[in-house]
Amino acid sequence: MAAGWLWRRLCQGSAFPVSYASRIMQKQYFLPSSNLMGARLAGSHGDTQESKTNPLVSLSDEPETLYKRLSILVKGHDKAVLDSYEYFAVLAAKELGISVEKVDKPPKTIERFTLLKSVHIYKKHRVQYEMRTHYMCLELKYLTSSTAAVYLEYVQRNLPEGVAMEVKKTKIEKIPEHIQKPVWDTLPQVEETEVKS
Amino acid sequence: MAAAARALRVLPRALRVPSATRQLHSSPVCLKARAARVRAGRGDKAVTYEQAHAPHHIGHRKGWLSLHTGNLCGEAGAAQRAIEDAFLRRFLAGTFPGLLADELVLKRRGNLLVVCALLGRALPPHKLYFLLGYAETLLGNFYKCPVRLELQTVPARVPYKYL
Repeated sequence: MAAGWLWRRLCQGSAFPVSYASRIMQKQYFLPSSNLMGARLAGSHGDTQESKTNPLVSLSDEPETLYKRLSILVKGHDKAVLDSYEYFAVLAAKELGISVEKVDKPPKTIERFTLLKSVHIYKKHRVQYEMRTHYMCLELKYLTSSTAAVYLEYVQRNLPEGVAMEVKKTKIEKIPEHIQKPVWDTLPQVEETEVKS
Repeated sequence: MAAAARALRVLPRALRVPSATRQLHSSPVCLKARAARVRAGRGDKAVTYEQAHAPHHIGHRKGWLSLHTGNLCGEAGAAQRAIEDAFLRRFLAGTFPGLLADELVLKRRGNLLVVCALLGRALPPHKLYFLLGYAETLLGNFYKCPVRLELQTVPARVPYKYL
């Protein structure tokens, strides 16, 4: 119940209307969904596997970039806000089928400075101010670029005020052609000659 | 001496050599031990929850009145946000004179600036709507970003304590 209320409140907190910008999607092959909920879908529909032509989505033939890891670091002053945002982000990832590698909570950093309390003298009496920054690191693994784009857009549109996010993506690339085989296999055979002293 | 002074005065301003002077610039004193604290009095002053708690209670018993990322570790723009906040509070205190029941809450989500204000019920609704549109348009044009003003009226200020 609390989760549902929290989800609705976070959704209502988004600043932007829910109209989607056109997104260039890579060609995706729709697998038959086996866990269809509700009997109303069975039979009465047309072909569920046929991709519906959405005017806002355009397909392209480029191969998708694959991400091994998507690391999202969220910073804020209020720990309670970060905790609720962590719940929301993990729930969103689970709903989209993204595997969460780990949820890390690095220790907070405190930036303190000490000032003189009085205008003129009284060196022994000071006043201290501090600013605390709490962190939460969410690591997702094995994403495609379009999944990452969709997830990041959703999660960033619902970022609470006073919270900053840093995203790091780790790409998977093919080993380049010239180093796929070891060098000593490609060198021409050198005949061994005896060195006569 | 007097002749020299008279001679200097006759010269045009551009040709006058600046004489050596010293100036002292003083800014108002920042009374750190008395900031945002309501001092105990006779017991007749009604004080809201926000006013009753001192700044060292922020994060423990109080929330933040202005939410932005400027003060986070590794983020910039704190001074700019502080200036904007100061202007916004004065502007809205002047737009709704005597109507604000509590401090404004300023929230920044991306480009959008949301101002949440609690007002008393002294003005009729059509006047409040006019002031809402006026404030939003003017602030939007001034800060070049979308500004949304969220108003809520309360019957009276809620006193937490009497100091």
